[in-house]
Amino acid sequence: MTARWGLVLLPPFIFSFFLVAASQSVFLELSFFEDLGLGRKGEDFVLDNYTRFLTDSFYLHALWTTIKTSALAALFTLVLGFPVAYLIARMRSQWAMVLIAGIVVATFVTIVIKVYGLIVIFSANGILNRSLMEIGILSEPFTIFGNVSGVVIGLMHFTLGFGVLLLYSVIQTIPRSLEDAAAIHGANRWRVYRRVIFPLALPGVTVGALMIFNMCMGAFTSAALLGGGRVFTLPVLVQRVVMMELKFSMGATLAAILLVSVIAINLLSIFMLRRMKAAHLVVV
Amino acid sequence: MDRASRYKIRRTLGRVAFRAYCALSYIFLLSPMVVVIGTSLNGPKASTDASFQFPPENISLHWYARIPEAQIEALALSFALAGIVAVLACILGVPAALGLVRSNLPGKALISTVFRAPLQIPSIVTGIAFLQLFYLIGDLTGVYWQGTLFGLVLGHVFVATPYVVGTVTAVLQRFDMRLEEAALIHGASRWRAFRRVTLPVIMPGVYAGGLYAFMVSFGDVPIAIFLTAPGFVTYPVELFTALENDFDPSIMASASMVIFLCLILLLAVQKLVGLDTLLRTGGGGGR
Repeated sequence: MTARWGLVLLPPFIFSFFLVAASQSVFLELSFFEDLGLGRKGEDFVLDNYTRFLTDSFYLHALWTTIKTSALAALFTLVLGFPVAYLIARMRSQWAMVLIAGIVVATFVTIVIKVYGLIVIFSANGILNRSLMEIGILSEPFTIFGNVSGVVIGLMHFTLGFGVLLLYSVIQTIPRSLEDAAAIHGANRWRVYRRVIFPLALPGVTVGALMIFNMCMGAFTSAALLGGGRVFTLPVLVQRVVMMELKFSMGATLAAILLVSVIAINLLSIFMLRRMKAAHLVVV
Repeated sequence: MDRASRYKIRRTLGRVAFRAYCALSYIFLLSPMVVVIGTSLNGPKASTDASFQFPPENISLHWYARIPEAQIEALALSFALAGIVAVLACILGVPAALGLVRSNLPGKALISTVFRAPLQIPSIVTGIAFLQLFYLIGDLTGVYWQGTLFGLVLGHVFVATPYVVGTVTAVLQRFDMRLEEAALIHGASRWRAFRRVTLPVIMPGVYAGGLYAFMVSFGDVPIAIFLTAPGFVTYPVELFTALENDFDPSIMASASMVIFLCLILLLAVQKLVGLDTLLRTGGGGGR
């Protein structure tokens, strides 16, 4: 019986394995050939592209921008998302489903459409900037096109819905009775948050933060559109180098570096999750 | 004022502040979509730059009647593509999940890693990887797959299948094998037991996974941007290039239609399997 199920597994496994192996090996191999431009590559198997990456301040700066924007976006996603996740997880009424539906719609609608909305909201003579300048909070319009804050806001729209759903599942593992117990013993709300919920959620939140950070590291669309050709993250550079400059091997090298950093962070979060499971800190 | 009522007031204030904060998060999250829908309703002669006026002026469906051919073709392509991808992802993903949960092959952890691998790879990397793979295959055989429906399907099935594997696995792990055994004892054939007992139970997982697969394909830019060709673009890529080049206000109209489509799909899922199934089985989350 179980052997038969092994046979059922075989065809999709072979197909998936071929796709993973073939697609990844081709570009990884390409990354080791010198880039001669216009899609041409050198003859020898060399590390040229990698040394170019490590010595060219433009590429290193892109790596730094990627890390910086991803870290900021992950942080803000947690700050905005955690209270919402908590609210939904602890809600007893039918409204919880409506609130969840709002989050799910936001994760399902493609980021390109959301970027269009963002551009209207933050346009120089748009509703937000005009009202903020009228009240006197801003002296000049806050725009998000072609600067780092724009990229961070775009990344947050990419991750926030997913982040809320993730944190929601973390908070659901914390029994409500623990909060009640703390409250009965005289802790006020703030103290309950600080001494009960926060410590219990911390492991799950840490792993979630790493996952969100990783999503941002690999995010292309929002970074490319809101970066407006002035802010370069690694995913934006990969597309640009390949499609516009036709440097196939250099693009492959950038992609390889991105892939390796993302997988390293993933392994770290899997490792942390294992240790937490072993310590019974999370019930996933 | 005594201590008890002071405590009560502070508690109420705290609660109000907390809810207000959550409301702000929601406004942040949902405003872009609301603004897109609002802007799409602008009349032909809105005062300033017609496409950017929000709240809309001279409300009308003016731009809905003027969605250009290119966008409609792109929408049609995206629809067809996402539908094919969802079906193929289920055809691959359901047996994979069944095999992963029920067989006792050695190295199952490794096999499951292969199935999950596409989720670990940033989409832009998947895009360039498939482009280079297609170049290589083309150089060898003379048939180039980039810019064809087949190539796009291949790239999207690659990223969509893990979602189905994830959701169906999640449902199967809670499946009580005794149900199927009971059917067998009562004389059902293996296939009949599977079709009449197991399949209905895992169907919610299949729907959820299929929906994720559809959405992953329907919203993707980073893979499709490498695998489409001029005159053969998916809707998100069309929007992406339109923003980089020239901007057409009718985009807001077609984008609003896509937002409504997402809402309708979500309602269908809620009716069909319930949103909580979608969340409980959330196979790796949205990307």
